[in-house]
Amino acid sequence: MIKFENVSMVYEPKQRNAALNDVSIEVNRGEFAFLVGESGSGKSTFLSLILREKRATNGAVYVAGQNLNRIPSRRVPKLRRDIGFVFQDFRLLRERTVFDNVAFAMEVIGASRAQIRDRVPDALRMVGLEDKARRKPTELSGGEQQRVGIARAIVNKPSILLADEPTGNLDRKNSVEVMNVLDRINQNGTTVLMATHAHELVSEFRHRVIELSKGNVVRDEVDGQYTAMTTVINQDGSRELLTGEAAMEASSEAAMNEEKDERQ
Amino acid sequence: MRLGFILREAAKGLRQNIIMVVSVVLVTFVSLTFVGASALLQLQINQMKGYWYDRMEVAVFLCDDNTAAPNCAGEGVTDEQRTSIKQLLESNEMAPYIKEFAYESKADALKNFKEQYKNSSLVDQVTEDQLPESFRIGLVDPEKYPVINEAFSTVAGVDSVVDQRELLEKVFQLVRVASAAAAVVAIVMIACAVLLTGTTIQLSAMHRRLETTIMRLVGASKTTIQLPFIIEGVIASIIGGVLASGTLWLLVKFLVQDKLASENVGVAFISTNEVLLVAPGLLIIGIVLATISSVVTLKRYLKV
Repeated sequence: MIKFENVSMVYEPKQRNAALNDVSIEVNRGEFAFLVGESGSGKSTFLSLILREKRATNGAVYVAGQNLNRIPSRRVPKLRRDIGFVFQDFRLLRERTVFDNVAFAMEVIGASRAQIRDRVPDALRMVGLEDKARRKPTELSGGEQQRVGIARAIVNKPSILLADEPTGNLDRKNSVEVMNVLDRINQNGTTVLMATHAHELVSEFRHRVIELSKGNVVRDEVDGQYTAMTTVINQDGSRELLTGEAAMEASSEAAMNEEKDERQ
Repeated sequence: MRLGFILREAAKGLRQNIIMVVSVVLVTFVSLTFVGASALLQLQINQMKGYWYDRMEVAVFLCDDNTAAPNCAGEGVTDEQRTSIKQLLESNEMAPYIKEFAYESKADALKNFKEQYKNSSLVDQVTEDQLPESFRIGLVDPEKYPVINEAFSTVAGVDSVVDQRELLEKVFQLVRVASAAAAVVAIVMIACAVLLTGTTIQLSAMHRRLETTIMRLVGASKTTIQLPFIIEGVIASIIGGVLASGTLWLLVKFLVQDKLASENVGVAFISTNEVLLVAPGLLIIGIVLATISSVVTLKRYLKV
């Protein structure tokens, strides 16, 4: 569904660290994948390339079988109709009702009134907001607002859903609600790719995890945790990140030390 | 459906951005008024020129019963005198200077007068008797007028020799200067209008960045995203163009037709018909400029 072949992205010719550096990865139809990594690791660039907001400096990006470097600009809107996008900050139109916000995505691509009447309620039902169609976004909680954003992203029935830190502005309860909605959409066959920093969600919801660091894929794990690195507090109180086994050892060592301390 | 959407978005943009839109309307209005004024002054020159330049450049007016020139001796030109003047015009001495000549009878003079001053109220009051008969002479070189003047002004039966080009040239010069001045102001004002339209569209695009970002990512076409902004600019310009046309119409109607033309009965003036000729041009200029400046601005400030 989404395939990166030796993709590099350099914003400025002289820049030493590429935004993406020879990335090759494939996300299959119907998959749910988390895209993790610290800020500046290349997550946003990764999503922009899929939307063809940017073009790769090197390599090829394929979305739904099309090589994005090859398609002409006028075909880009058509490509994007097959990709839903969820923003971190919801991006709802305040003066429009929930229904109209979702309808907006259909209006602008020329859907008929009948289609809108038909599909918007379905999308709202999918995110569990069918009873709030007449509300304004400002009357909703953050989690509900994000679910409106998700309904808008899926109302045109895209085969791919991209979400850029969709829970970034939400508390734990609302984040879980949003994750459940994304899961449900995924179960209906939509490929979901979610860039996130929310490590407890990643660890809890257990999907494929693609980790980027400085433009490189450093980990690609089925049912992965947010990070294979664990924060370890050393004896002198300093913190450091260690990978799997080393962290286990360190933490058991620390635990033993603690026990020792207690006994003393 | 989509057209309805585009028009609704354009209307929303006009409402949200009303102060900027009003300023675009006003600047466009003023600039197009100057464009129109410059064009109308040109038409005014053509109006006069069209009659005179196509005709003979030098007029040899013949004596009339009531002319007081020394050659006439208080009497009208006789057939003999008329024939000898005609012979002089056809003579070998005159041939290198004269391209063509024509005789204009009193009846011809009245007909030409009526045509030339068809916008003037004077037409109905003039009779054949009041207009002199004349020979109209086209010169090979208009600069050689003094030769003709010398040759004919002392001939019996000639009332006077007049170089009409020279007389008109002074008037034309004045109108040309006015037209050029209006054109210069028009160019400066148009530059203002184009820049202001661009700025307004830019503001409008920033104002609705949220909408356009969503539209872009859900796959709206470039037309759907950009057209509302272009329509916004074009509507403002059309309003400006209509105001300019209206102002010019009023100016010509009340200042030229009702005042200048009735006070200067001898001169041919433009009428509101000429304004109707200029107005569509102004609207087209307004629309084209607004479209260009909107498109250029959107190319820079609205990613699609």
